[in-house]
Amino acid sequence: MSAAAPAPEAASAAVASAGQRRRRGIGAALAAFARRSPLSAFWGVVAAAIVLVALAAPLIAPSDPLAANFRQMGRPPSEAAWFGTDQVGRDVLSRVIHGSRVSLTVAFGAVLLGTTLGALWGLASGFFGGRFDLVSQRVIEFMQSFPDLILAMAIAMALGAGTGTVIVAIAITRIPFGGRVIRSVVLSVKEMPFVEAARGLGASKWRLMFRHILPQCVAPYLILATAHLGVAIVIEASLGFLGVGIPPPTPTWGNMLADSLNAGLVPPWWLVLFPGLAITLTVLAFNLLGDGIRDMLDPKLRGSV
Amino acid sequence: MLGYILRRLAYGALTVLGVSVVVFVIMRILPGDPLVAIFGPEGLTRLTEEQRAGYMAELGLRDPLPVQYLRWMGDILRGELGHSFFRSESVAEMILRRGPLTAQIALLSVLLSWLVGIPVALISALRPNSLADNAARFLSILFLAVPGFWLGMLIVLGLLFAFGYRAPLTGASLLADPWTTLQMILGPALVLGLGQAAYIARMARSSLLEVIREDYVRTARAKGLNNRAVIALHALPNALLPVITLSGILLGFVLAGSIPVERAFGTPGLGYAMFTAVSERDVFVMQNLVFLYAVVFVALNILVDVLIAWLDPRIRLR
Repeated sequence: MSAAAPAPEAASAAVASAGQRRRRGIGAALAAFARRSPLSAFWGVVAAAIVLVALAAPLIAPSDPLAANFRQMGRPPSEAAWFGTDQVGRDVLSRVIHGSRVSLTVAFGAVLLGTTLGALWGLASGFFGGRFDLVSQRVIEFMQSFPDLILAMAIAMALGAGTGTVIVAIAITRIPFGGRVIRSVVLSVKEMPFVEAARGLGASKWRLMFRHILPQCVAPYLILATAHLGVAIVIEASLGFLGVGIPPPTPTWGNMLADSLNAGLVPPWWLVLFPGLAITLTVLAFNLLGDGIRDMLDPKLRGSV
Repeated sequence: MLGYILRRLAYGALTVLGVSVVVFVIMRILPGDPLVAIFGPEGLTRLTEEQRAGYMAELGLRDPLPVQYLRWMGDILRGELGHSFFRSESVAEMILRRGPLTAQIALLSVLLSWLVGIPVALISALRPNSLADNAARFLSILFLAVPGFWLGMLIVLGLLFAFGYRAPLTGASLLADPWTTLQMILGPALVLGLGQAAYIARMARSSLLEVIREDYVRTARAKGLNNRAVIALHALPNALLPVITLSGILLGFVLAGSIPVERAFGTPGLGYAMFTAVSERDVFVMQNLVFLYAVVFVALNILVDVLIAWLDPRIRLR
């Protein structure tokens, strides 16, 4: 389900805890993370494994995901093809593996682009306030007056198919979340004594914004970005399923599911099962990793929705 | 209360106006060429310059953008939503014919989400960290990750394999033939409902756990009420307020979620029409449908706000 964003407003509370963190080695930090929440660490490992599979797709995949083989059409899973073959004899396992590349590229690209743009917008709008803030808030509200899938569909259709356009379409739906959360963080940080002190010492506006306020936005930004990876993956799959995603024959999980509906009156079960399992597993891993990161960066939020 | 409703409505009208501009910008001003959208990149190269100019003029795309925008708004106010490029039925007729099915799916899914989500939340919240609580939390996390349309495809396949059953693909209205309609909407509503139930259960659980700690709940316990009465009569009503808000927001998202889900089930509702419009690159149908969905989304938000204000005097009197 691609629905409301997980716990956005509360992320602002993460400010204080991140500031007090001592510097440690990455290994030690990871070990501490694993001790504190073994479940999230486990899903972190799963997420890392999925990223590795995506990176090494050409090495791992047993055959070319695009190579049709007319002697092996529509075969159920077997020793030769673990996930079976589709209606033109392409190996489903190879296509699922290569599909992870597209999914993760789009998800990371869209979330980075959208959340970063939103965060910068929120930073400016919270810092400068006034009329700029007022107008920004209205524009963000208009953008949030669409269910995200519909907005992404319309943009992807208007821009025409392609990896870049899908990334942009999903990124635009992420902008309001970044904008709102970071703005609320900036509004609270702006009034903190250390910012007052810097202002009193005569720091310039830009120095205040980038040297003093921006670092406080990093933790909420990370929480927000990881929380949205799963949503982005589901939207990408839905766009592919509806035929406005990355055009075939590129193997994406959404495309594969859409393709399966063209494989005869009754879609063979292996064409439906495996791509969907891949989506579910990936989204589950990133969601739970995101929960873990949120709990680590912001202990106050632990256990809340 | 009346003042609050009027304020909210005026604000909603402003939002709808802004939304119409956003839709117009997306469909007309973004760098995509509407003719490419209609004919496809290959089809466009086959058109001559004159043909292109002719189509552009015929579609009114030669006029200045503000004129195009105002003409579109005028059409909407007159209820003329135009025609599809590919079908004779007008968009307005299509919405009236297909809309009810999607509305029934959405409402039934909300009903199902409450029927599943609230009992699960009660079980969870009454014994936090028990086995039942952990199982419920795991299931809700799982259902947040399962794409609804994929679950729908699995259900269609499963029913076909196990019982050779396939839900009817066409049907009369709910009143004329309730049984057929129910078969058509039950699958999509179940899938969408389970997805919402996951959110509802999470929200209701944490909301209940918060309310249970309140003083007035302790007072109710102290005066000797049994646990069941305390939860049902004192804690639950207040705990449900944020759940109602969430449910309203989710209903808006369900309208979007029903697009791939209706495609998975082959249900001929408005979501399927949206899918058809998108796959045929039918820009003008898409423009009107996107606007319609956004208006419904805004209206639902207003409705929920008013409902909450009516239920909760703290908001009304603020």
